[in-house]
Amino acid sequence: MSDVYVVGAGMTPFGKHPDKTAAELGAAAVLEALDDAGVSLGDIEAAWVGSVFQGMAMGQRALGEGGISGIPITNVENACSSGSTAIWGAAMSIKAGEYDVVLALGVEHLTGAFRGAFTPDESDVEAQRGLTMPAVYAMRAQRHFAQYGTTSEQLAAISAKNKRNAVANPLAQFKKPVSVDEVLASRMIADPLHLQECAPVSDGAAAVVLASKRKRAALGGSRAVRLAASALKSGRAEVGLKDMTVEDLTWRAAEEAYERSGIGPSDVRFAEVHDCFSIAEALRVEGLGLFPHGEYPARVVKGEADLDGRLPVNGSGGLLGKGHPLGATGVAQVVEVVRQLRGEAGARQIPGARVGLAHCRGGKAQGVEGTACTVNILTV
Amino acid sequence: MTSMEAATAMMKRPYEVEGGLVRLRAGRCPECGAVYCPARLVCDGCGHRGLEEILLAPRGTIYTFTTVHQSTPEFRTPYHLCYVDFDEQVRVMLPAAGDERPRIGEAVEIVLGTGPRLVDAEPEEGPHALMVAWTATGKGEGDV
Ligand SMILES: [Zn+2]
Repeated sequence: MSDVYVVGAGMTPFGKHPDKTAAELGAAAVLEALDDAGVSLGDIEAAWVGSVFQGMAMGQRALGEGGISGIPITNVENACSSGSTAIWGAAMSIKAGEYDVVLALGVEHLTGAFRGAFTPDESDVEAQRGLTMPAVYAMRAQRHFAQYGTTSEQLAAISAKNKRNAVANPLAQFKKPVSVDEVLASRMIADPLHLQECAPVSDGAAAVVLASKRKRAALGGSRAVRLAASALKSGRAEVGLKDMTVEDLTWRAAEEAYERSGIGPSDVRFAEVHDCFSIAEALRVEGLGLFPHGEYPARVVKGEADLDGRLPVNGSGGLLGKGHPLGATGVAQVVEVVRQLRGEAGARQIPGARVGLAHCRGGKAQGVEGTACTVNILTV
Repeated sequence: MTSMEAATAMMKRPYEVEGGLVRLRAGRCPECGAVYCPARLVCDGCGHRGLEEILLAPRGTIYTFTTVHQSTPEFRTPYHLCYVDFDEQVRVMLPAAGDERPRIGEAVEIVLGTGPRLVDAEPEEGPHALMVAWTATGKGEGDV
């Protein structure tokens, strides 16, 4: 079984792109990743492409725009984990020994397509009764408040941190810092979550070129980053009365990634996690075992998750600051981890970072805890 | 009734009214006892095929809640949502009747209504017909 390396990374700016199609965004990310890797179009042996609301054959459209056709292309829809599931599939095909150079792309053009709050699929009984995605997380936040004394100010500090980090990321959607008071003054979406605690609607694309150990050596590969583990899980059926502040889905994906990589939570130097809402970041890092359960929001206020803190979380700005083009998000997280590990993260560089973790978790469907969750651990 | 017919019937009318009390239909696994609401074809816990239909207690306890201020166009905002825990060890998401803010730990009973959904349908039709409302005796029981 071959080790898998990220040899190239590319990403468009996230934000509103009214003048571009999803295919154009995807092609731009792919070409940047190819150039970064120093490989040509013909080197790509297979591709996995994640998107959510882009219709049929997004991969063929984006790769066709980018000059790639004829190879096996697999289109992936796994809610917000679509892009990171594409990475998982691409990595599997290299580990299996089938291919030496495989592309993973995530792409989404969301603006104009949606207004208001995301909901689960309309066939879902809970959606028919009025459940929205913000409401799911708002209800989990209310439990975090009740069980651990978490406050709105603490959750707002998570948003403020990520939006501050985004200012140092030229590809981020938000360019201005937002204070805790400004977060709390923004309008309520689902109590206790305010507008500034919800990820925005975004367009964007991100791509990585994965390579086998053999191909990495052929490329020279001094900037290659090892994908030490890539784990994918789906949500288990909800049976019984479970603690909704506990992320079983996140933990099961993390546990597999820790086991396969031999890297434990205490070895992780920084993390990009799926902060679709402020409370979500707390649930993720606690579920990953990176912070003690119930304590994360208070520790954010103390600065422990800042870029110069004990364990920086969402140094890229996260979904809250960088933006959340659904299918692209999971790939963009890995692009960020790669750039940090190469020392190419500019003003947001975490000094001496050698182990980074990317966590992406998507969706809600009736009767299961969540749709899908990936944990990728990368190292140099 | 075949399992397919049963599933279809439950989609239309996911409850029974007995003596003025509204009780949700659910499925219980005859093998391991796991309860699902709505029911499903196969038990996730043990793989048993075919759950037996039960009716949940007409009252439950609010596990958590939110007030939704922004939703899709078919709902009037704001509205309250709750996850309600039933003695049968199953949790169900239901909108709350009335304007009062729900409280964790509060006892509630199920009433019929259209909830926050802006629809022409009769309140008896479809899963959105259910709401929860406060019981007279339930105030302030067991905050966490
Ligand atoms: Zn069973």
